[in-house]
Formats: sequence, structure tokens, C-alpha cells
Amino acid sequence: MAVWPIGLYFILVVLLILGMLIGSHLLGQRHSEKATGQPYEGGILSEGSAQVRLSAKFYLVAMFFVVFDLEAVFVFAWAVAGKEVGWAGYWEILVFIGILIATLIYLWRLGALDWGSPGRPRRRV
Amino acid sequence: MNVTDLFTLLPLLILGGAAIVVMIVVAIHRSHILTLTLTLIGLALAFASLWWIAPEAPRQVTSLLVIDRYAIFYTGLVIAATFAVALLCYGYFERHPGNPEELYILLLLAALGSAVLVASSHFISFFLGLEILSVSLYAMNAYIRAWSLPLEAGIKYLILAASSAAFLLFGMALVYAELGTMDFAKIRELVTASPDLNRAVLLAGTALIITGFGFKLALVPFHLWTPDIYEGAPAPVTAFVATVSKGAMFALLLRYFYWSGTHHFGAVFLVFTIIAIASMIAGNILAMLQTNVKRILAYSSIAHMGYVLVAFQAGGQLAVQAVTFYLVAYFITIIGAFGVITMISDGDRDADSIEDYRGLFWRRPALAAVFTAMLLSLAGIPVTAGFVGKFYVISAGASSAIWLLVFVLIVTSVFGLYYYLRILVALYSGLAHEEAHAASGAAMVSSSSLAPALSISGGVVLAVLTILLVWVGVYPATLLNIIHSTVGLL
Repeated sequence: MAVWPIGLYFILVVLLILGMLIGSHLLGQRHSEKATGQPYEGGILSEGSAQVRLSAKFYLVAMFFVVFDLEAVFVFAWAVAGKEVGWAGYWEILVFIGILIATLIYLWRLGALDWGSPGRPRRRV
Repeated sequence: MNVTDLFTLLPLLILGGAAIVVMIVVAIHRSHILTLTLTLIGLALAFASLWWIAPEAPRQVTSLLVIDRYAIFYTGLVIAATFAVALLCYGYFERHPGNPEELYILLLLAALGSAVLVASSHFISFFLGLEILSVSLYAMNAYIRAWSLPLEAGIKYLILAASSAAFLLFGMALVYAELGTMDFAKIRELVTASPDLNRAVLLAGTALIITGFGFKLALVPFHLWTPDIYEGAPAPVTAFVATVSKGAMFALLLRYFYWSGTHHFGAVFLVFTIIAIASMIAGNILAMLQTNVKRILAYSSIAHMGYVLVAFQAGGQLAVQAVTFYLVAYFITIIGAFGVITMISDGDRDADSIEDYRGLFWRRPALAAVFTAMLLSLAGIPVTAGFVGKFYVISAGASSAIWLLVFVLIVTSVFGLYYYLRILVALYSGLAHEEAHAASGAAMVSSSSLAPALSISGGVVLAVLTILLVWVGVYPATLLNIIHSTVGLL
């Protein structure tokens, strides 16, 4: 199969883009009004910086990842061998999940699940 | 695994259960004294359960853990030391703002990790125990977040412990790749039975495992973290790092190298000889250059681990007993010494400069007396536990005719006297300094003198430790009999 049509197509695309950019640069008008440099946002004047820092609480995300997702990894490993390990395995996985629930209770009571801004009482909807 | 197996694991189960109970209680109701009480109850129950499980020993529980008399003895030692550290923590953290409760959860978990270490007979349980211990220690080191030194200590310990764990893991992988087993006793069978092994891979693996051990025990050349962590960590936590973490690791060192038979390799023996000599010399000489009491104790602990290695090198039953005796004496002494530091530290900083101890005898005679006893024991002066421990180490070395090590031990012990005496001189000198202090006036005010309120729990711990120290020093037969009937059977 010949490759040259793709190459020709690529070259044509590049030429077209260059033509549009250069053409509009040469033919277009220039103006500099008050609002020219401002970002357009549906007609509303933008306010403040675009670089707002949002607290994502990565360490909390990491901890909950451990609590919820790694738990699933171990539970799956047990589930695959569920029949072979029998009741002993069942009790072991029960203890394992029990410990994780205790951790969750601890995190919940600590307020780790309230992701509002700190210092403000929890809003009830 | 059956019911008897579970029963023999009772001390470990109680420690783990206590950590969870304490965690839930902290979640429901925060109270320092309640948390401490629950922790102490958990530790006491775990300690008591050692007697219930003793008739079952020795018993292999799955292929990971072995509960023999050796493991039971060291578990008891770990639990008793944790008990003392928990009591010291109470007085110390009561003076600090913030939540002290979580420290006890970490303390219980670290004790659990240590108990797993001393009972492990398999690489998997070795690594699990080590990680449970290490991860708890990261957080414990950095527990006072308002100060920069504990944070620095925590981060340093995290990075270095994690990288040393990586070395250890790679070493285990190499040994496993060559032998196809991770069980200590099976390694011995394979090493002695088949002569056509690739010794290079096996030795490389063993060298990496020695790196892992060396880091935890702070042996030269893996000792660089020690002074910074000792200085930065809160004083009772330092006591824990210095005793329980190192003691459990040394117990495992004995079990691994004696059970796996790798101690008989010429190269391994040579490496340990070099490490022991380097630790004794570097530890003692660097300690002389310090003016910070915590750093002095850090370097002295490097030297002490070198001394214990001398007994380890001797090999045989006498060595196991000498190491165990030395470790017990070391536990009593170090917890006592850091107990004194804990007692005279206040809510602003730890009492770590030698200047804080100048004239302590005239202000707090009882504390100064306890500190004197502990320092004399570290120096190995007669009538203290440290002397008897050193005596057994030397006699173990002499019985195996490792004269070079014994010679270095004796010479460096003499160096060691110097920096212990320097602290002692500061303790008892003083009145002249007080006058100079008053005369120079405003210039000295900036170095704030410490004025802590002494805690009763800490005082009780120190009193008990001092009595034990002198008792073991004057009449060591009781402890020797216990050691002979328990760890004699490793």
C-alpha cells in the first residue's frame, strides 16, 4: 500500500494552517480596547486570580484509600480461596474487616469525614 | 491452625486487641488517664498470659511463628519495657498541649511488632514484625508536631528505615532465590546438606540482611541516624527506640544467625567482627565529642550494641545467655537514664544539654542519685547490673578465645568512662556555677532553666528500675536462673 497520500495530506494540512494564520495576520485589523485582554466568561466580568488553592486533603484521601480499597484487595484474595480456607478463613476475614470498621469509627469520630472548611460547624441539609 | 495454636498466640492477640480497644475508646472519649489505664491493663494481661502459654512451649504456630521459651522470655521483656515507657510517657505528655492519647495506640502496636519479631522463625513474619514496629516508630518519633526536632527525627527515621527495609527485603529475596525457602531452620538444613550451592548469591543476600539488622541496631557503619533521632524524638520515645526496638532486633539476630547456620560462614563471622570493633571504637570516641546528653547516650548505645555483638560472636549457649543478660541490664539502665531526662524535661524543651544537669544533685538529690546509678551501670562499675552484664560478655568472649574483640571491648570501655564521668561531674558540681550564674545575670537568662513538675508515675518507675539495677548487680543469681531456664534452649 502506498504511503505517499498520507504524506501529501499531512503537507496540505500544514500548508492550510500556515495559510490561515499568515493570512489573518496580514489581512486582519488590530485594536486594543479596555476589555480586549480580558478573558471572556459569558459576559460576566471575571474577578480574582484563576489560581485558587483548593484543599484536596490528599492525606485523607490516601488514608481512606487504605481503609476502603486495600481492604477490598485482601477480601478478594480471601474470596478466591473462600471454600478452601473454610470457617477458619471466614473468622479471620471477619476479624480483619472488624479491625477496619474500628478504624473507620475512629476516623469518623475524629471528624476526618467532615470535609468542610475547618472551624465551621457542620451544615445540615 | 487450631485452637491450641491460637491459644499460644495469646500475648500477641491481647496486644493487638488492646490497641484496637484503646483506639475505639479514644474515639468515644478522650482522656489521658483512661487511655493510660487501658494500655497498662492490656500490657499486664499480655504479660500474665505468658504464664498460661508457657506449658505449651515450644510450639511452632504455622510456619511463621515459633512460641518457645526464648520467645516467651523476650516477649516478657518487651512488654515490661513498654509498661515502663508508657508510665514515663504519662508524666511527659501531660505537660504538652495537644492530644497525647494516640501515642499509646502506637506504643501498643510497636510492642506487638517487637513481640512478632522475637517469635518469628520465617522471613515473612520477620518482615511483618519489623514493619509493624517501624511504622509505629515513625509516628512516635514525630509525635510533638509543634517542635521542629521531632519532625526532623521522624522524617529521617522514615527515610532511613524504609531504605534499610528495602535492603533487607532484597537480601531475603536473594536467599530465597538460592535456597527456595524462607524458614530459618530449613535454611540451615539446605546450607549444611547441599555443598553445590552458589555461595556468592547466598553471601550477598546475607550481607544485605546484615545491613537491615545493622540499621535497626545502629551498628557502625549504619549508625548515622542514631544521634539525630535520639536527640529529636521525645525522651520517653527515645527510651523505647533505644531498648525495645533494639532488644527485639537483637533477639531476632541471634535466632536468625544461629538457627540458619549462616553464622558459621567465615565471611559472615569476619563482617560481624569488623562491625563490632568499629561500633565499639566509633561509638565511644564520638561520644566524647558531644555536649548533648541525648547524643552522648546515642553514641554510647552504638558502643553498647558493639559489646553485645562480642557475646554474639562467641557463639553457643553461653553467648545466648550473656547477650540476654546484657540486654536485660541495658533495658533497665537505658529506660532509667531516659526516665531521668523525661522527668526533668518540661513543656518547652527536652533537658538535653549538659548544662541542664549542672548541680542537679543540689536541686533534686533523688533524681541525681538515680541518674548516677544508671550512668555507673552504663560505664560498667561494680554493684550495678551493667557490670555483671559486661562480665558475662567478656567471659563468653574469653571462652571462645576471640581475644581481639575482648581486648577492644576492655580498652574502649575505659574510654567510655570519660564521658559518663563528665555528666557525673556536672551533676555534683554546681554551687560555684550557681553563683556565677547569679553574677552574670541577664546574659544567662536566655538559656531558660527547666522547672518541670515531677510526675508520680515517672518517680515510681525510676525507683523500681533503680532497685532492679542494684539487685541484679549485687545478686544476679535470680535473673541468671530465669535466663538459664528460658533462653538456654534457643
